[in-house]
Amino acid sequence: MDTSIRKDRLLSQKWLRTLINLGGVLLALVIAWELLNLVIGRQCDGKCITDTLSQMLRVATPIAFAAFCGVVCERAGVVDIGIEGKMLTAAMVAYAVNLFSYQWLQSMMEASAAGTLSRWLALLVGILAALLLALLHAVSSIRFKIDQIISGTVINILALGVTGYFYRQFLAENLPAGPGTFPKIVIPFLADIPVLGPILFRQQPLTYIMILLAFLLHYVLFYTPWGLRTRAVGEHPRAADTLGIDVLKMRYTNVLIGGLIAGLGGVWFTLEAVDVFNPMMTNGLGFIGLAAMIFGKWMPFGALIGALIFGLGNSLTTTVSIYRPDLPSQIPQMLPYLLTIAVLTGVVGRAAPPAADGQAYEKQ
Amino acid sequence: MSENRKTNPFAPFLSALGRALGMPALALLTAFIIGAIVILLTSGDLLAAPTAYWGLIRGALFKQRGLSESLVASIPYVLLSLGLSVGFKSGLFNIGVEGQFYIGALCAAWAGQITTGLPAIIHLPLALLAGAIGGAIWAGVPGYLKMRTGAHEVISTMMMNYVAFRLTEYVITDKLRDVNSTTIQTPSVSPAAELWTFAAIPQRLQDPLNALGVALVLALLTALVVRALADRPDWKAKLGARRGLAIGGSGLLAGLIAFVALPLLTNAWWPFTDAYDRLHTGLIMAVLAAVGVWWLMEKTTPGFELRTVGANPNAARYAGMNITRNVVLAMAISGGLAGLAGTIEVLGVSICRCLPLFFSSGYGFDSIAISLLARNDPFGILAASFLFGAMRNGADLMELSSGVSKYIISLIQALALLFVAAPAIVRWMYRMKAPAGEEKQAPLTRGWGG
Repeated sequence: MDTSIRKDRLLSQKWLRTLINLGGVLLALVIAWELLNLVIGRQCDGKCITDTLSQMLRVATPIAFAAFCGVVCERAGVVDIGIEGKMLTAAMVAYAVNLFSYQWLQSMMEASAAGTLSRWLALLVGILAALLLALLHAVSSIRFKIDQIISGTVINILALGVTGYFYRQFLAENLPAGPGTFPKIVIPFLADIPVLGPILFRQQPLTYIMILLAFLLHYVLFYTPWGLRTRAVGEHPRAADTLGIDVLKMRYTNVLIGGLIAGLGGVWFTLEAVDVFNPMMTNGLGFIGLAAMIFGKWMPFGALIGALIFGLGNSLTTTVSIYRPDLPSQIPQMLPYLLTIAVLTGVVGRAAPPAADGQAYEKQ
Repeated sequence: MSENRKTNPFAPFLSALGRALGMPALALLTAFIIGAIVILLTSGDLLAAPTAYWGLIRGALFKQRGLSESLVASIPYVLLSLGLSVGFKSGLFNIGVEGQFYIGALCAAWAGQITTGLPAIIHLPLALLAGAIGGAIWAGVPGYLKMRTGAHEVISTMMMNYVAFRLTEYVITDKLRDVNSTTIQTPSVSPAAELWTFAAIPQRLQDPLNALGVALVLALLTALVVRALADRPDWKAKLGARRGLAIGGSGLLAGLIAFVALPLLTNAWWPFTDAYDRLHTGLIMAVLAAVGVWWLMEKTTPGFELRTVGANPNAARYAGMNITRNVVLAMAISGGLAGLAGTIEVLGVSICRCLPLFFSSGYGFDSIAISLLARNDPFGILAASFLFGAMRNGADLMELSSGVSKYIISLIQALALLFVAAPAIVRWMYRMKAPAGEEKQAPLTRGWGG
């Protein structure tokens, strides 16, 4: 009897929370819409709206991957501010692999097949490069118990050095023509739905992967033993250890999986966004991903919403610059960053991270 | 000497220096060795790494004006790393020093060009103050937001970085653009607001107002040093009630001597004769800032509060300290130092004595490595900053003479930081035994929870 009441209350709270969240999202959309009209004066028609929203989803992709990486690591108690560095490295490696494997594959098959193959190969090698950096983070922060923020900073500086070095030595000039970025995948039937179709179902592959990953992560974190263990290790590693969970192994696994996810975010830059690499191209998106993670209270869907808000800020900037070329471009460009701060301060309030977040675990 | 040890005020630095040299030196060496291996693997040339490193050393020290350019490059590093270290000691990771550096530069460029009528004794301090205040506000706001709303400073200061970049770009291209110049830049600052180069000091001192300004600064510094010395037990007993008189008198005396003698002396003999040497008085400010930060954090009550808040916020709260005020204060000091670094770049280093559009610095991220490398010790920061400044300055000649990209420097710096942060890795590499009692170290930073 007692338990059923408690279950009821829990259920209603959960529903309430979802409702409040949805309401918040709607409110944010309305405010953004009105702000946009204030600036460009109701020039945005239907196509412009769907374009803006589709662009939002596109730009949100790397941020969401970064945020998911943060969720996976920090739920297990490892802070990772080296996401930016991992993304940058993955972006560079993917670019190089895409370019050079295309040259190599072209002699064996026709151009379009070579392009497709080299892009997927580049994706794979790119995320493996990020995995390597994640391994460094895992070993230094779990095995050697370095302060995790320092370890992350090391990764960021290291990535800056490594990518810059290889860019200057090998990727700056005399480059062969590459196969380009992933083409859009138009999903049959679904893409023809008015409004939703062009937004959701005419995207590039990594965007679809990102959306699926949000569902997968949510399921895995909250409905599987692995997720339960992960959360236990992040909240109270000593207790988890007592129950026979291998804390260090869980943390290693999670940091490495996080690295793969961050790698997906990184390859987005050179396989989906643009067909060039330059040494500063991640532009703080890894950190913004962390903001999205905090905004989402370390939940996959929350992180996704955070990433979408930032993506919206970014795509609105583009829309504004189309209709109001007279405005100095720097002012709207500040918008996403200010939005992130506003979101962190206003909406979230005090977010509570996993209790053991950032603490090295010493086995007794 | 040894009997003086107890009362020698410099004993703490010396022993810290001794302790610091062991592991960091080894870490640096290892980083350079790994860097050499990377160069070897990517170039396939056995001689590439020695050529590159020799070029680096030549560029940093031995080429014409090499040493002074290395010093010039290390000045912003000192100030930014000091700023970061104040944050770290107070439990804050001010990752936004780069943005505060930009805002400081912007404020200084604005304050430096508002008028040409003011004498240097007013205008230069004004411009320096403007930059420092700009940086302090830019950092103080995230500090306040952290305490009031829980927005973590790593994210918010990072975001403030990007806002600062865009804002600076906007102001330079739009609001404060020098219409008489073909390049996009702000108007040059008034000559009175320029930071003096060492070479220009004799000429500057010919103006009695400038000499007065220098005399005032020296008088103040002398009084501060005497005041610090007067607190030592043996002096305290001797001076007794005449403490105030001694402090004021020595300050006044030093000021008077400086006012009368310095212009004459520097005119008669001055070692810095190269007019193209860019070494500027910011160097003195950087060293003073290091001493000042050490003094503030180790010897004063506000510094003690900051450190307590950093080490254990709960204990600080129970002890009745105002956490919000201390966090905002720490961020403001941190940002103020970063702003000062930007100010110095504009007033003393940039060729046009203005803020050009392409004002990329990259000093901020390196400074994180420096302050962690130096374990937030102000005097360690001076040493590490010189090292980084020298590497930055030598990198161009290295690239030119050996064809090895200068980004290898970042790689070496990151490795050095990694090894310093984890002595266990270095010990494991060299099969060394852990020294007893040195293993337990308080964490330099904390996660999101703080």
